[in-house]
Amino acid sequence: MTEPSFSNAAPPERTRTVDSMGVRLNLLEWGDPVAQPLVLCHGMFDHGRSFALLAPLLARRFRVIAVDARGHGDSGWADAYTWLVDVLDIVAVLRSLGRDVYLLGHSKGGGQAVDAARAAPDVVIKLVNIDGFGPPGPEDPGKPLPVRCAEFLDAHRRLAHRRAWHPYKSLDDLVERRRAQNPRLSREWLRYFIFHGATESHDGWRWKADPHMPYGFGPWRPDWIAPSYATLRIPMLAIVGSEQDTWGPLPESILAERLAGVRRLERRTIAGAGHFVHIEKPADTANAILDFLDS
Amino acid sequence: MRITHARVALELHELAHRSGPALLLLHELYGSSEDWGEAPAAWPGSVYALDFSGHGRSGWIVGGGYYPEFLVADADAALARIGRAAVAGTGLGAYVALLLAGTRSDLIPAALLLPGSGLAGGGAWPDFDREFPGPELFMRSAPAHGAFDPLVGALDQYVRPVDYAEAFARAARRLLLAEDATEVPPWWEAARRSAAAQQVPTDLRFALAELAGTIGAT
Repeated sequence: MTEPSFSNAAPPERTRTVDSMGVRLNLLEWGDPVAQPLVLCHGMFDHGRSFALLAPLLARRFRVIAVDARGHGDSGWADAYTWLVDVLDIVAVLRSLGRDVYLLGHSKGGGQAVDAARAAPDVVIKLVNIDGFGPPGPEDPGKPLPVRCAEFLDAHRRLAHRRAWHPYKSLDDLVERRRAQNPRLSREWLRYFIFHGATESHDGWRWKADPHMPYGFGPWRPDWIAPSYATLRIPMLAIVGSEQDTWGPLPESILAERLAGVRRLERRTIAGAGHFVHIEKPADTANAILDFLDS
Repeated sequence: MRITHARVALELHELAHRSGPALLLLHELYGSSEDWGEAPAAWPGSVYALDFSGHGRSGWIVGGGYYPEFLVADADAALARIGRAAVAGTGLGAYVALLLAGTRSDLIPAALLLPGSGLAGGGAWPDFDREFPGPELFMRSAPAHGAFDPLVGALDQYVRPVDYAEAFARAARRLLLAEDATEVPPWWEAARRSAAAQQVPTDLRFALAELAGTIGAT
């Protein structure tokens, strides 16, 4: 099947890989290789092409590097997935550049970019977080921890037998599956995006993402977001869309509470965009980012 | 015997094969099934010792994503093979035993928690001002020699909140806490407050005899 086209989506100009704790991370690059680096981190179940509309707009000024997170896109798979190793992967990419960098993340990648900036305060100059401010509250607050842990263990008992996703008949079936979750994203975009996040084989189409990835469990709680943000010493631009969407934005009272301790905070709301701000309004998002990075 | 958790091949050693209640042994951080010595020989039933992911003769987690609950699932994969069993763990293995005993209370009549390496973990609450953990930190605290993946040190970074430990301690059937005069971490104190908890001596042989007595297997 030939690559579906999408207006203004630019393919990466270069790709390369970085090793992080034995996992090969795939990097997509746009722009002058000697310009100031700007590293982009996508969200859960996405991949580096999530930035195929935004990256070319930022590449006029920066060496833009989008990371395929482990278990996503064309990066390698791991045996276990944690927030911590995802953050350390971003840090490995930052350190591989050998100079100071700007850092941006969307959704889960936004939250992880904040932690990567905390982990590598000597190299990150400024941080952009696009709607990556955590879930609104604890998951299943009414369900006892041992019951939730039993669900985790039961899922892990099944993982030993789970080697691959079930195939879908066509790319369009994957598009419809994703669109049921994110109805604001157009079919045209999803066809382009999922083409790069799926593989076709004799029996159909499968996600490239590792089917073992979404099964974690632990004591983490959203109350820990605000105090961790309060340790940031670099400026952060917090971007959200104006429109209510599947995974965001958070209610303003919760978002304001989480951002209250950020010492050098700027905020922008992009009109007419939902959670995927950089896909729905790439030009407005790029302008907000360039204003912030230039100031 | 070889068992599988996710994509990791684990070694579950059968140290004794007898009729009677089974015992599952969970070693400390950086340890292995070889740590147990002769004490389990006195157990009245079959004895199994697991090598956790990244330890002993078990496989290493590709990519280093070790976390305590993944080891709970290692131990649960052993339970899936053994069935009903009493559990004893040292250090990190004691914390794993607590979480497993609270979650699989239908399969675990009692759990024995003993001190050892990796007992405290990353404390009871995150300290956001401390050094952000990374591979260098994981490896810094590892012993110079031993059969383990240097990245298992990540297991010692995760916080163990008191209310988290309490929830599992409340759900466990019986908890035996092997204590001497040394200081114990907050999660252990939380387990001690459970109605299911009682204190036993730290000597492994005595403590296992208490465990056997608790489940009526003397």
